[in-house]
Amino acid sequence: MLTRLSRLGPALPRLLSHPPARFVSQSKPTGAAGSTAVTELHPAADSAGHGEVSEYVKNPDYHGFSSDPVVDDWNMKVGFFFGISVALVIGATFIHYLPDHGMRQWARREAELVIQQREREGLPLIAENYYDPNKIVLPSAGEE
Amino acid sequence: MLKILIPTFMLIPTTWLTPAKWLWPTTLAQSFIIALASLTWLKNLSETGWSCLSTYLATDALSTPLLVLTCWLLPLMILASQKHTALEPVNRQRMYITLLTSLQFFLILAFGATELIMFYVMFEATLIPTLIIITRWGNQTERLNAGTYFLFYTLAGSLPLLVALLLLQNNTGTLSLLTLQYSNPLPLVSYADKLWWAGCLLAFLVKMPLYGVHLWLPKAHVEAPIAGSMVLAAVLLKLGGYGMMRMMIMLEPLTEKLSYPFIIFALWGVIMTGSICLRQTDLKSLIAYSSVSHMGLVAGGILIQTPWGFTGALILMIAHGLTSSALFCLANTNYERTHSRTMILARGLQMVLPLMATWWFIASLANLALPPLPNLMGELMIITSLFSWSWWTLALTGAGTLITAAYSLYMFLMTQRGPLPPHLIALEPTHSREHLLILLHLLPLMLLTLKPELIWGWTA
Repeated sequence: MLTRLSRLGPALPRLLSHPPARFVSQSKPTGAAGSTAVTELHPAADSAGHGEVSEYVKNPDYHGFSSDPVVDDWNMKVGFFFGISVALVIGATFIHYLPDHGMRQWARREAELVIQQREREGLPLIAENYYDPNKIVLPSAGEE
Repeated sequence: MLKILIPTFMLIPTTWLTPAKWLWPTTLAQSFIIALASLTWLKNLSETGWSCLSTYLATDALSTPLLVLTCWLLPLMILASQKHTALEPVNRQRMYITLLTSLQFFLILAFGATELIMFYVMFEATLIPTLIIITRWGNQTERLNAGTYFLFYTLAGSLPLLVALLLLQNNTGTLSLLTLQYSNPLPLVSYADKLWWAGCLLAFLVKMPLYGVHLWLPKAHVEAPIAGSMVLAAVLLKLGGYGMMRMMIMLEPLTEKLSYPFIIFALWGVIMTGSICLRQTDLKSLIAYSSVSHMGLVAGGILIQTPWGFTGALILMIAHGLTSSALFCLANTNYERTHSRTMILARGLQMVLPLMATWWFIASLANLALPPLPNLMGELMIITSLFSWSWWTLALTGAGTLITAAYSLYMFLMTQRGPLPPHLIALEPTHSREHLLILLHLLPLMLLTLKPELIWGWTA
């Protein structure tokens, strides 16, 4: 079991050396609920100096960017503004209004109009002699 | 091209001159603006196919999607790396961003190159920053081994390419992609010509990677830090597919026959690596093997040489780039909380991180090619073009898609469902940064379903 747990990596020795600091003790009576329980779950840095303190204890509005609350807030704003508002919104608008390369969309719309027109008039969708057969020069049957 | 290259290059002075406090927001903002500007490459007004022509660089319908993907990945890598570099000295953080930026610089030059030899030089140049990222910022000591594998597999594959390119220069007098497509077909008859054919493609097949020469990839992925894994899966593997598509035009009469064993290898690899995924215990290794499996399909689509095959390959490359990068980011969010990549140690995370489970769900569905995502579009086009070549390929590709669905489900169930193991007590909540990161992967993927002609390549 221990060997399998050791894949936890560098965290494990710390976990084992100070177990009471890391695990929730169900037996210990705590008078208050809520916030105090959270602070007990994430104690401030222990004496060894290696304990991880959750950033949420220091900064409840933590966004995952920086331990400095001001930088964290700004970094979040920059990320969302330039990522979503600038790159995705302006970028998607730009791409939506790109010119129709090679007039492919126009050709498609035009073809649909022609099909509708020919169906209304009861004509075949494409004439049998789309190319004038008189203008096509074929090699004679005898030639190889 | 310069409107992107110069801002990318100037990101390096930005990195070194901004105050340490504002390093990450500044580089993030600048790289996002570069990514936005890179979208202007998609405005292609020329009828010849090539646009943004300059002396050395140009874009066409094939390279543009990959170039935009490259520019999009840099801000995402910066976003993803903030947490694990936060404890390092600020100069190392700057060095890290500089390496990522230089990687983007080389990749733009590689995808935009009109001369094959410049493509080759940039193809090799991307190895250096990647190698440093893996061996310097990896987590375990095995990273050195992974770096050796990565370097020597790729180098051994690409040295024959250099010789083959020099030979091509000797025979045709040019290595310019603009003129090579109009040059007369080479008389390729002798055994040496067949060797030359292999030399031209080997480098790219190793880079893809083809099943059999793929061993460097899972190692590199597992050991690399998150940004390394992201760029490796999303862009560096695509260098292989891109290079193959570019070389195919010169290899015309030989490929028809000589590609048989490679198509079989690629399709067999889809099944084998998919099966390996089914019994993986390591989350990052699973995602890496799933990359090999998807790229096998891409290799098959390219080697079959039909317009649908090429289009499907390009669509799948872009879709897979975004999907696998998102999956690596998700795996990294787990790793940063549990400090372990072993799946069995971090189960039932849906209970603790429900919104992250939603992202896992969407990313897994994208990985198994759910309609209407571009992943499905690409896979279907490749499978169709392979099927019209030979019916028997359907057995391999069909089993491949089934296994892909199976291991995507396995990955989702293993990480998200089931009881929470008792040792996971003080898990951190999810951060806005991580949600933004995954959103910026998956939203473009979904938007691409609305305008797939952007990534259709030459047929568009």
